[in-house]
Amino acid sequence: MATAPGASGPGLKLRVGIDAVAVERLRRLVEGGDKRQERLFTAGEIEYCRGKRRRYEHLAARFAAKEAVLKAFGTGISQRMRWTDVEVVNEQSGRPRIVLGGAVAAFAERHGLRDLDVSLTHTEGFAFAQATTLWERRGACAST
Amino acid sequence: MADVDSSVKEAVVEALALDDDEVTPESTLMDDLGAESIDLLDILFRIEKSTGVKIEASDLGDYMQGGIPDDEFSDDDQVISAKGAEQLHKVMPQTNPSDLEGKLNADEVMTLFTVQNLVDMVKTRGDGAGG
Repeated sequence: MATAPGASGPGLKLRVGIDAVAVERLRRLVEGGDKRQERLFTAGEIEYCRGKRRRYEHLAARFAAKEAVLKAFGTGISQRMRWTDVEVVNEQSGRPRIVLGGAVAAFAERHGLRDLDVSLTHTEGFAFAQATTLWERRGACAST
Repeated sequence: MADVDSSVKEAVVEALALDDDEVTPESTLMDDLGAESIDLLDILFRIEKSTGVKIEASDLGDYMQGGIPDDEFSDDDQVISAKGAEQLHKVMPQTNPSDLEGKLNADEVMTLFTVQNLVDMVKTRGDGAGG
């Protein structure tokens, strides 16, 4: 199998994260009240999904993306992050892009995140996300 | 505040659709009881509703790390340091620091978190909030 150019250099390392979310599980969680939706999703994410026929599929895919990113970071939810620190925005083409904020952005900066990409999909009942991250291998960089 | 021990147990039982006797104080939420991140959120929301103690995902991290800076808590590869292992032993007394130091990845920390650890955390947060 060919290796992607630039991803295999001695100064870089690749990490991926993947997550699946049951749409109904997410719907029940969000509909439980207490402004839960606002605690899990940014205003932009809520607005994007509002009015869509498959609103909860889209929200579940966004939640999966947050998890996938944190898995690719190697931190899980034990780090001091807020769910809204990882935001899915959509480019005009519809392609999703991740915007980091707060503690997650600070972590990315500190550990040398060079690139981040995400892919989302959903089917009946489930939403999936995969995040790919490219990091500076700090020790290796220093020795070259 | 509602009885924390019973509130936490009820939240775990309901969020994970388990039988009452399946949940013990020693059960780890993720490995033993099968909770995923979204289930942990559900559990925290339920506890908030019954006890009034609000715990965000960021609070969970703060509680685990105990104010230790990230670069002292774990190394560049996210492996827990000696200082991090000592801190984790404070909030999860069932753990042995020598089993964690240099071996446990940061994203595996929650796999050790038990029902009793959650009860202790809610009580600590409740006291801190004056409640």
